[in-house]
Amino acid sequence: MAEPQQAYLSLIDEIRSAVEAEAGPRSLLDRAAGLLAGRVGCRVREAYTYLLRLAAEQGREPAPLAAEVIAVLEAGVGTGDDRRLRSVVDEALRTRRRTPPAFRPADGAPAEGEVPVRVVQTVLDSLPGGHSWVVPVRGGSGEVVDYLTEAASPEAVDTADRRGAHLIGMSLRESYPNLVGGPLWQAYGQVLADGAPRELRPFTFRAQRPGVPAQTAYSVRVNRLGQGLLISWTRHDPEAQLGDRLAQTERLGNLGWGEWDLVTGRVNWSEQLYRIYERDPADGPLPSEESNAMILPEDEALRVEAAARFAEGEALDVTLRVRVGDRVKHLRTVADALRDATGRTLKVYGIVQDVTARETARAQLAEVERELREHRESLAAEHRLAAQLQQIILPIPEAPINLPGLRLAVKYLPAERASRVGGDWYHAAHSPDCQVVLAVGDVAGHGLQAATTMAQLRHALSALTVTTTTDPALLLAHLNRLLCASTAVASTGTAIVARYDPDTRALIWAQAGHPPPLHTRAGHTVELPRPRGPLLGADPDVAYETASLMLEPGDLILLYTDGLVEHRDRSLQQGLAPVIATLNEISLAGSAQPLAALLSRLRRANPDDDTCIVAARPLVDAGTDNPGGPDDRS
Amino acid sequence: MTPVSIDPRDDGVLDVILRGEIDYTNAAPVTQTVTDAVDRVRPVAVRVDLTEVTFLDSSGIGVLITGMKAAREIAAEYRVRGPNPKVLDQLRITGLAELFPVEPAGPPAAAGPPAAAG
Repeated sequence: MAEPQQAYLSLIDEIRSAVEAEAGPRSLLDRAAGLLAGRVGCRVREAYTYLLRLAAEQGREPAPLAAEVIAVLEAGVGTGDDRRLRSVVDEALRTRRRTPPAFRPADGAPAEGEVPVRVVQTVLDSLPGGHSWVVPVRGGSGEVVDYLTEAASPEAVDTADRRGAHLIGMSLRESYPNLVGGPLWQAYGQVLADGAPRELRPFTFRAQRPGVPAQTAYSVRVNRLGQGLLISWTRHDPEAQLGDRLAQTERLGNLGWGEWDLVTGRVNWSEQLYRIYERDPADGPLPSEESNAMILPEDEALRVEAAARFAEGEALDVTLRVRVGDRVKHLRTVADALRDATGRTLKVYGIVQDVTARETARAQLAEVERELREHRESLAAEHRLAAQLQQIILPIPEAPINLPGLRLAVKYLPAERASRVGGDWYHAAHSPDCQVVLAVGDVAGHGLQAATTMAQLRHALSALTVTTTTDPALLLAHLNRLLCASTAVASTGTAIVARYDPDTRALIWAQAGHPPPLHTRAGHTVELPRPRGPLLGADPDVAYETASLMLEPGDLILLYTDGLVEHRDRSLQQGLAPVIATLNEISLAGSAQPLAALLSRLRRANPDDDTCIVAARPLVDAGTDNPGGPDDRS
Repeated sequence: MTPVSIDPRDDGVLDVILRGEIDYTNAAPVTQTVTDAVDRVRPVAVRVDLTEVTFLDSSGIGVLITGMKAAREIAAEYRVRGPNPKVLDQLRITGLAELFPVEPAGPPAAAGPPAAAG
């Protein structure tokens, strides 16, 4: 971006922040929306949305736009609020005065301080109201002899009814000779000299030419802008004010009006209607046949029907899609007719509003809603499938089961939330060498992918214990390599594997990133040591270590996944405390059914995560302690 | 607050800053952001800042592992710094602290070649 352009934009920023500092952007916007809604007769919410959209379209912050809207809608009302707003504007301009413009002309570098005329014109194009940018013409000794208008806002109108681009290139000396040497001329000179803005209100322009109103009252503001002056003016005669306001309302509401006299054939379009149809006002209004031809064929039936009802005397209110240039606009037309005693239509008055943005937003919203619905449905389906899969591959025994020398119970608490059914698994079986292998594990993630990985691990463990080894460290090393080699998306998991020798009562275990077992003896529970071992699926080359313990009759061992103790608002130790307390109580109570009692009392800590618990106790004598229970050989 | 931002430094270190709760709700896009950045920048070292992380679930742990794998693939160093005590607990329990250096919180290392931390 060129330097001067940046300077200009920073000036605008400056004004904007000053306005915002004075009155919060929110309240400005609220006020503007309220006023606008009152004028246009729409809902405040709509006016609010509209202002935001307009600001976005013009690439501006909403607050200064709102301030401008308020200024326009309240111009001349003279209420306290009006004065307050004026003070806001004054304050903004003072800020500018305190910090001299960054584009003061610099010696030898003319380009530095100069604002390109096209930049000014671009900005003025987006400003409502009358503004022009004049550049001084200097005489031989450097004195200002004239001012040339180089840019003008589209709504700028002078006393002779010249507008917008027609003002560009005009010489003040030639077009308004009366002004030369007068108060406005002097104000121009002063602003040019010291950079401080001036305001003349009221300023009365006296014309001497035929066809031009003899006197017109204005408020004129003069600001220095680059090498020229930005002149902003408002007409004070009531009729013009009304016209200004109407134009402003049309522009803000994106609505234009038209009048079709069916007797004389005369058609009148407002400026905004030309803008909506992107037509040069010089070409005059579009004939009805031509504007009808722009309607999309799909909407033709709608138009014909509305026209028929209109002919029968009903008011017209229809929204049709119209191709304007290479865009399709949604135009709402509300029309009424002046009819004679026989019902013949004499004149049609209509308002056309461009509701494209609203229609587009509505369509986008519907699309998003549809996607959400589909997403929800597919989530629900996936959850059902994952839950079924889990049922199939991970049947949970309802009652405690006996394995050689060990009695155990399993509990699985699925996550509460639908999409969170996950990858917790357990394993409990005796191997050909009469060792009992117990395991619990937790696959990262949830849903189908986790359930699949869980199935993979569980089946692999079953196969390995039969064919390869029952050494917990080696089993984990195999499972780790399996997950690392898995092509599935970043599968990782944690697990603990324990082997119990019923002859020696030795328990040996290894873990992969998993909480260690809990061990309870005589009312006292501890976390067993965690031999080294990172989680599964991270690094194929890691080795796992083991630890061991001799179990005694009455001991309890608990293997669990972290849903039992992990909670995002508590530490692991805090989560563990209630579990340990429960184990201690059950151990002390000396229940005949300690496992059933234990599992019925344990509650998962984390509703986001599923939990799997395996509780075991050594059987003192396989012959007397409930022999012949069902085996789990999965 | 975005859960992740990426800051490639002039000295070839890619700073990855994680924030808030990294869990199943945001792990996928965060992982994507990290691996994309590693692929694009091809840094000599990846440093993951956990100072502002309050919670990691297993999916959040997965983000760290995927980051580690991506770094290993291009032979970049990988380290993690500034976990709060709870997150540090998780890194220890999952054994991640055995797979890559975990540094305590502190002022970011001055610009310069990354030192192998232990």
